[in-house]
Amino acid sequence: MSELSLERGINTLKAQIDAPIASFFSSCVSCGMCASACSFYTENPEPRYTPIYKLEPMRRVWEQNFTLLGKLKVKLGIAKPVTDEMLSQWQELVYNTCSLCGRCSLICPVGNDITYMIRKLREGMVASGHVPEGLVGASTRAVKIGSPMGIKLPALQAQVKHIEKATNMQVPFDLEGAEYLLMLSSMEIMNYPEYLEAVGKILTNAGKTWTLSSECFEATNSGIQIGSSDIAKELVSRVVNAAEKLKVKTVISPECGHAYTALRWEGPNLIGRPYSFAAKHIVEVLDELREQGLLPTEGMEDAKLTFHDPCQLVRRGGVVQQPRNLLKLVASNFVEMTDHGTLNWCCGAGGGVSANEDANEVKMKAFQRKKKQLDELKVDTLVTACANCRIQLEEGLEENQMDLPVVGLTELIAEHLVERNTINEESRHD
Amino acid sequence: MTQFNMPTVGEQLRENGISRRAFLKFCGLLASSMALAPSMIPKLAEALEKATRPSVIWLSFQECTGCAESITRAHSPSLEGLIFDTISLDYQHTLQAAAGEAAEQARDEAMQANYGKYVLIVDGSIPLGNAGYSTIAGVSNLDMLKQVAKGAAAIIALGTCAAYGGLPQANPNPTGAVAVADIIKDKPIINVPGCPPIPVVITGVIAHFLAFGLPALDHLGRPKAFYGQNIHDRCYRRPFYERGLFAETFDDEGAKQGWCLYKLGCKGPITYNACATTKWNDGTSFPIESGHGCIGCSEPGFWDFGGLYNPVSLPSSLSSQHVVFATGIGVAAGVAIAALNKQAKQQAKQTREPVNVDQLNREVQL
Repeated sequence: MSELSLERGINTLKAQIDAPIASFFSSCVSCGMCASACSFYTENPEPRYTPIYKLEPMRRVWEQNFTLLGKLKVKLGIAKPVTDEMLSQWQELVYNTCSLCGRCSLICPVGNDITYMIRKLREGMVASGHVPEGLVGASTRAVKIGSPMGIKLPALQAQVKHIEKATNMQVPFDLEGAEYLLMLSSMEIMNYPEYLEAVGKILTNAGKTWTLSSECFEATNSGIQIGSSDIAKELVSRVVNAAEKLKVKTVISPECGHAYTALRWEGPNLIGRPYSFAAKHIVEVLDELREQGLLPTEGMEDAKLTFHDPCQLVRRGGVVQQPRNLLKLVASNFVEMTDHGTLNWCCGAGGGVSANEDANEVKMKAFQRKKKQLDELKVDTLVTACANCRIQLEEGLEENQMDLPVVGLTELIAEHLVERNTINEESRHD
Repeated sequence: MTQFNMPTVGEQLRENGISRRAFLKFCGLLASSMALAPSMIPKLAEALEKATRPSVIWLSFQECTGCAESITRAHSPSLEGLIFDTISLDYQHTLQAAAGEAAEQARDEAMQANYGKYVLIVDGSIPLGNAGYSTIAGVSNLDMLKQVAKGAAAIIALGTCAAYGGLPQANPNPTGAVAVADIIKDKPIINVPGCPPIPVVITGVIAHFLAFGLPALDHLGRPKAFYGQNIHDRCYRRPFYERGLFAETFDDEGAKQGWCLYKLGCKGPITYNACATTKWNDGTSFPIESGHGCIGCSEPGFWDFGGLYNPVSLPSSLSSQHVVFATGIGVAAGVAIAALNKQAKQQAKQTREPVNVDQLNREVQL
């Protein structure tokens, strides 16, 4: 097998360029609206941070290989070639200052899906070896150990034991024929174990059968972040195999944005066939339970709270109304940010940015946009539904000395859950 | 200097039974059509009264005699016609009684008697191709023009042919026709274009020349007094244009309602002339009032505007057939390029090697 090389990178880009990309590049009118849509640009207004400019290497490959004018330029020797120097400069633009949040795609007046193109450009960056170390490490751990943070099954089992002790709830592993297979993100296992507790409580309370898989519990997909369909396919196949082995009806993607994108949207394309199960985000599952009357709650949060929409959930996934339905159940003083829903600003650390140490400084700059939104509202609590957003929000708030608790939506719901045993006891009294 | 045998214009007019009142009325009309202040009317009258009956030599080259018709058939009896009687038209081969050598002799005599003072009127264009295309008494138009222009005080290029080349010059211009101004460079030339020009414009220009000398001219050598206004700007159908109401054919409801003729090829928007204000046939009307668009006859190259009935803003040289061919070629080229690109992409896809995590740490040598 040959080494990664510039030639391999350019060849990969040629293979990635498809009809949508050709039409996007042809129809770009250079209006620059994508710049004002991107928090990496607005909080750091340097022209090179304009989203469409981040695609320059791919644009050159397209022009020089697939357009008459570009071929002519190559013949005349006036075409600027894509070189290793160029790609190493662009590494910052393609990885450090893009979270694949999709806001530029949404704003683009001619409908160019810039995020789609960045995702494809990363394929070429991988094949030419221009990738941040942090993402290389995460991808390697994900493939070799089974989790980008290097968490192994015993660590999860230890957390499960804690939960079982604290709640008297059974956390099933490898339960064949269960309705739901619950996937997790490393971030949740290590930093927010309360998530697993909350989901378990809600599903058990709703009378649903659910399970974890000892073969595959990690839903995050470093292949999507680094931009390698080969790695992404390997990782998503593990989830599919586990789900099909256990014959579950639905796989629940955790509170993690890009894990949802990987499982829900990219997965079937990567493995080249439809799933035999449904793939849903936990917020979608909770809202279904609410509709079926299986999510009884009591008490209301009086604190003024707002909801940070995870990009992959609203913009790439269309899950906008469900979290609001759920918040209405438990919050009496829920307020919306400006630009909420599909237009919400990115936390600044998705799409591989949080795993990339090179981006530590710039992601905090991008957070300033979120800070401005929060400063306008003066809320007491910030709710979100993505562990990655949550880490970034907590870090950003701390760095800016803002005293604002960040809560996961699922945990918030679980806190207000009316447990079935209690209902039964109450009805017995009647 | 008034000579014994050279009566003034005023004397001549009265001899022909034109009253002073009628003369002043004519001066008023001229003054207003030339946009002169009312205070100028008596001055115009006085100047004309005193002006010596000038000698005029009229040369007709490649023309149709329409311009002469325009003046002589204007409205009868008319002051315009009569003032023409008051000039000494010493040579005009259509109107003069003399013929053959006698006619040419009259021209020579007039030139000698008034050398440096006579007015030369030219109608028709001059062929630069074969000299035999147009000759008078065996002399080519080019030679005759050069010869007569030498002794002229000023030249009036009458009609679009003399002013800009006109019909003879229309594509492909078989005779190599050119305008007077293309040949004569050292004499004042007043262009009075039109196919034909409006009679009162012709006499107005002559009157102005007699009374005050050369009139102010625009960039195309036309007297600003008559050619300063755009037909479209002065057109009574302009309100329909503003409201977007257009006749689409010559017999549709819009045409009957008198809507704008722009879409039927009216060249009013690009034409400068006095038609819409002075009008024709003793002030009766002008072409647009008869339901036909302006053809732009007072503009250079008006025959080659691309069709009298093509709207001015449409590309007139592109036929629907051209468009079909161009589209066909475009589609064929597109299909060919797409096939090539697809091949290139397939090749790239086939030669692409999967990436594996062990390879990820490439040391890039810069």
